[in-house]
Amino acid sequence: MADRILKKENLGKLVASVNGKGGRFIAPVLDARQVVFKDVARAEDIVSDYILARNSYKEYVFPQTEVVADFTVEKHGVDLKSREVEARETVVLGARPCEATSLSSLRAIFTWDYIDEFYTKREDTLVVITVACTKADEACFCTTVGLSPETKTGSDVYLLETESGDYIVETMTEKGKAFVERHKAAFTEGGAKAKALVMPEKIGTIDLNKVGARLKDKSHYDDQVWARLTRKCIGCGACTFVCPTCHCFDITDEGTAFAGERRKNWDACQYDTFTLHASGHNPRHYQYQRWRNRFMCKFNFYPEKFASKGCVGCGRCIRVCPVRLDITEVMEEFSR
Amino acid sequence: MSNNIYLPHLVTIEDIYEEAPDVRSFRLVFKDKALRETFDFKTGQFGLYSAFGLGESTFCIASAPTRKGYIQCTFRKSGRVTGGLSELSIGDTMGFRGPYGNFFPVDEWKGKNLVFIAGGIGLPPVRSVIWNCLDRREEFGDITVVYGARTVADLVYKNELQHWGDRNDVRLIQAVDPGGQTPEWQGKVGFVPTVLEEAAPIAENTVAVTCGPPIMIKFVLKALEKLGFSDENVYTTLENKMKCGVGKCGRCNVGDVYVCKEGPVYTAAEVKKMYNDF
Repeated sequence: MADRILKKENLGKLVASVNGKGGRFIAPVLDARQVVFKDVARAEDIVSDYILARNSYKEYVFPQTEVVADFTVEKHGVDLKSREVEARETVVLGARPCEATSLSSLRAIFTWDYIDEFYTKREDTLVVITVACTKADEACFCTTVGLSPETKTGSDVYLLETESGDYIVETMTEKGKAFVERHKAAFTEGGAKAKALVMPEKIGTIDLNKVGARLKDKSHYDDQVWARLTRKCIGCGACTFVCPTCHCFDITDEGTAFAGERRKNWDACQYDTFTLHASGHNPRHYQYQRWRNRFMCKFNFYPEKFASKGCVGCGRCIRVCPVRLDITEVMEEFSR
Repeated sequence: MSNNIYLPHLVTIEDIYEEAPDVRSFRLVFKDKALRETFDFKTGQFGLYSAFGLGESTFCIASAPTRKGYIQCTFRKSGRVTGGLSELSIGDTMGFRGPYGNFFPVDEWKGKNLVFIAGGIGLPPVRSVIWNCLDRREEFGDITVVYGARTVADLVYKNELQHWGDRNDVRLIQAVDPGGQTPEWQGKVGFVPTVLEEAAPIAENTVAVTCGPPIMIKFVLKALEKLGFSDENVYTTLENKMKCGVGKCGRCNVGDVYVCKEGPVYTAAEVKKMYNDF
């Protein structure tokens, strides 16, 4: 079959088609001079010259905050109502191939014996349209964790940019096929020449197998290396919020003493109260212990428990870190 | 949505017992009559208890599965949620999610002697096991309970301690930390690990169960080792902070071990294999 093409001038048609059919269209747009994933109503707002959106699109399957139940406290009891997830087609255009692989990791956690339908119902209706990278920056390290701009796993639709700013369309999943079919008016047939992809250079001093093996040997937990490498971490948690695989959350009540909502809110293993016991004891009292936990989660817990990637090499944590703590430097240390 | 894993069941507080300063127990019954009949759990499992408007806290189920129709929890008032729970009265409504986690393999202990060692507010999870075993008394050998708290006032389940002490099929040793005794105190004065060593329960064909502050558990495990207990016959329950209880929120892990999913009950042998993340 001839390639399908998504012409630049047809992007508006696609946005309108998705929004018009009750869906939600997410794409990178400029907000406060930063490229971020946001709801899009007009194709003109979509940015095509970017490396990665500052935020991960995980917030569309795992919102920063979400109500799981409503309650009212009455004289003779409590009226408790469950919330239903409103599942509607949500399209993310402009994900990068690295981050497209993160959903299987999140899914592993949110379906680990107990199914979190707040997550699964959203993911089931999410269409990931990846645009392969024609640019990279210093923070990109997908090739070091075994991925690349050519990685198609996790993408429902995989797009290659052409010289003229159009896209060559490849459908990867049934969901992707159905998506193109449903919005076929926006797609045309024909051939075009794709722009060259840019592969971030693999960091030669990092060997993931070595990192994995070192982490498995429990003696490293008491090694001074953690404090030495991560001492400068100020525990702001920014890395966890932009990370496409970080999934930690808190459950809290908000409202008055008489009525309110129970919410699931993003939380971060980098915060000092995250593991603090009521007794005052804290298993991760020092910041380096919290940093160690996050690194372990990425390179030991996820791969060992779920055989999935804890880190996709998108480099967001490096770009956002206020003290320039670079996760690849720690990976290098553990490759020795 | 019936499949909302975060939605608690509504329970009514049927009775409240003052156990110690700031420590109380609730006897809870499910509002849903069908659930009241069918609810089942195993000893050692835990739940998430809601004070609506304030949030949820994790405690073990302190009652025994051999006692049907209700559950009991015991907690110390120490934070926002437990503070809110402390203000509730008999007849009030709260929330419960559970049971979660693994359990003590009581069925495997048939014919064995049992030693229970607890400190302070660590007795509630052990209480569930004790009553479970006392309700099936003929299946087990000698039963010893070593329990200590900082002061006499801090001992929880005072009525039950007296009952266990009065039974001739239970050996009860109570202790308070030095300085915590009263002039009337008849029990031991000393820290739990030392008192345990003095009591010297025989290790042969014996299973030990312990819960208490982390520092106490650490020295109890050493004392048991000295007494000749093998790590496979020593059980403890790790009470880490939890929010979801179902392996998602990410905070109860000890290294790669998720306490809510793979615990909270572990043998000393398993604990010793874990990452040093306590």
